[in-house]
Amino acid sequence: MFRVDPLANPEPLIKRVYAYVAYRVGDGPDAEDLTSETFERALRYKKSYDSSKGEPIAWLIGIARRCIEGRRPSLEVSAEHLEAAADHGDLEDDAVRRIALSGAVSRLESRDRELISLRYGADLTARQIAELQGAKTNAIEVALHRALGRLRTHLEDDSPPVRKSQARR
Amino acid sequence: MRSWRRNPESGLEAELRANRPEPSRELVDRLEMRVRTHGRDRRAGSFRVAFAGALAAGVLTALASVGGLGYAATGASQAVEKAKRVVHVQTVRTLHKSAAQDQYRKPKAKCRKGTHRVKGVCKRTKKARGVRFRRPPFTG
Repeated sequence: MFRVDPLANPEPLIKRVYAYVAYRVGDGPDAEDLTSETFERALRYKKSYDSSKGEPIAWLIGIARRCIEGRRPSLEVSAEHLEAAADHGDLEDDAVRRIALSGAVSRLESRDRELISLRYGADLTARQIAELQGAKTNAIEVALHRALGRLRTHLEDDSPPVRKSQARR
Repeated sequence: MRSWRRNPESGLEAELRANRPEPSRELVDRLEMRVRTHGRDRRAGSFRVAFAGALAAGVLTALASVGGLGYAATGASQAVEKAKRVVHVQTVRTLHKSAAQDQYRKPKAKCRKGTHRVKGVCKRTKKARGVRFRRPPFTG
């Protein structure tokens, strides 16, 4: 029987998996390690991929989730570290924006962070997230909407220091 | 900077997508290389097996076309015959026949009076018809 190679086009998959992992555990070496680990596992269990159950990215994100769960205690995003980084006046506007977002995402509850990571990091659809989590698509859409609302609140709370850094420039 | 304030929902979503963390070029290249070499190794393994199979099939076809298969089969059967002869152990049959054995063998059961042996079975002896016992003639 003809088998589909889930890793036939690896570059976009690497980027999406990394974005998901980085939203979950923070951008940096830990996210790189977890992405590498995810792909090593994917190569090892490539035969277990079933194209009828979903797209390769959903399969890879499932592996990445298990990798994160296995190493979770040491991989909490340091919000203070992100705030300190945001205070640097010499940072580019994009970098400041990215750090502010990462800081706000890191302050979210675990479930909200997971949803944001899956939707905007891994770029999965609400239906794919629902399949991955064993929930209904509608429930995921509602949960995402609420998570975005909470993220917005965090960003608005963060605005004074960011504004200060902007004023300095 | 505050694009998510102007249009809270869609702006924030766009921000999240636009500022998605990106892996370093080094990581992407390294993982891409790893994935591609892994696939190549596997393909090389299966190619080797396929090549060996094709080679064997080719050799068999070439032999068959010149009658080599029959020659090889005859050679093999002859070799088997030779091996059978070499391995076969000849048994020696010993005959226990001697004059003493005849003399001291177990005696056959005797038939009773008035019977005789016919093909190993004792049967009654029939009297001949018309034969009468005659007294000896009186002589005086």
